[in-house]
Amino acid sequence: MTKYGTTEEQLANVAVKNHENALYNPNAHFHKKITVDDVMNSVVVASPLKLFDACPFSDGAASAVLCSEEFLRKMNGHASEAIKIVASGRAGGTGALHQRPDLTTLNAAVLAGREAFKQANLGPKDIDFLEVHDCFTIAELVALEDLGFYPRGQAAKATEEGETKRNGETPVNPSGGLKAKGHPVGATGVGQVVEVYDQLNDRAGQRQVNNARVALTHNVGATGGSCAVHIFEKR
Amino acid sequence: MTSQETEDGESGNLTIKEFQEAIREGKIEGYKCRNCGHKQIDIIDFCPVCHKSNLEKIEFAREGKVLTYTIQQVAPEQFMNEVPYAWTIVELDDGPKVTGWIPFISKSSDLPIGQRVRFKKSYLPGIVFEKI
Repeated sequence: MTKYGTTEEQLANVAVKNHENALYNPNAHFHKKITVDDVMNSVVVASPLKLFDACPFSDGAASAVLCSEEFLRKMNGHASEAIKIVASGRAGGTGALHQRPDLTTLNAAVLAGREAFKQANLGPKDIDFLEVHDCFTIAELVALEDLGFYPRGQAAKATEEGETKRNGETPVNPSGGLKAKGHPVGATGVGQVVEVYDQLNDRAGQRQVNNARVALTHNVGATGGSCAVHIFEKR
Repeated sequence: MTSQETEDGESGNLTIKEFQEAIREGKIEGYKCRNCGHKQIDIIDFCPVCHKSNLEKIEFAREGKVLTYTIQQVAPEQFMNEVPYAWTIVELDDGPKVTGWIPFISKSSDLPIGQRVRFKKSYLPGIVFEKI
């Protein structure tokens, strides 16, 4: 905020958007529409983050079945909804915040994203929507910049202008994200994959992203000590 | 204080317990890498910059400046009676950065970025700083 002039209201926009998306996700933890004022008036936990900037702890489970192309061929047309993992990038970073040269980025996410885009031979412009690890509102903005979707300091303004809404240029967290779909820690990463599966198969109901063919997931652990980025395509 | 020799492949000998005991005695201890000179306060087995294990245990400066902080209003159990306070990253005068906290900070005007602070020996948990 000191470096880029990001405002608390801009952070609040992330929470409002993700709650809006979760209204149409039957598996979401919260089905509650909120406003920027609701976020701004919620109790301060650790300034500038307030209660509504934070994701909840949730109960939940998610599963995905991994299989080979060969197995799918043997299925003779069954499992036709299977999606393809086109890239899998993972990287580590320092867990201690005070060891980081820059507090406005997670180096693990930058490296994992770069690796994934390289494997897939794709770039941010090729991604139709993404699910990112929005454990706090600011984390969604940092993720979008770490992955190269926006230049440094510009994800806040883009979010404010609606670019990351379901019908925006770069839909982010159509599931509701960790913020509103919920954060059942161990199930969160696979939960993102389940959302991608539904979206790429055009079965996400009212929260469907139009023409979703390529999607990205970004999952963080250990305060940024580890990050995994996957890219998926419709087969 | 005598520095402890370490060699490649061996741990640097400073345990979390020793680190905490040093804090209780009013000292901030950590490592200096004999290979590249990198200084770090965390418990490490090798230098995160050059990846060598040739570490020397040293004591760091007790004064530094505030790089960033949050004002904690909801705190974990150990700090429940201390809210509000600043949870901060301090850059010590001899280079390394450390996470600590400053009691009695309730608004951002109480603590400008760059504020000079001093490590304070305390019975309270963590690394306590006070404004100079």
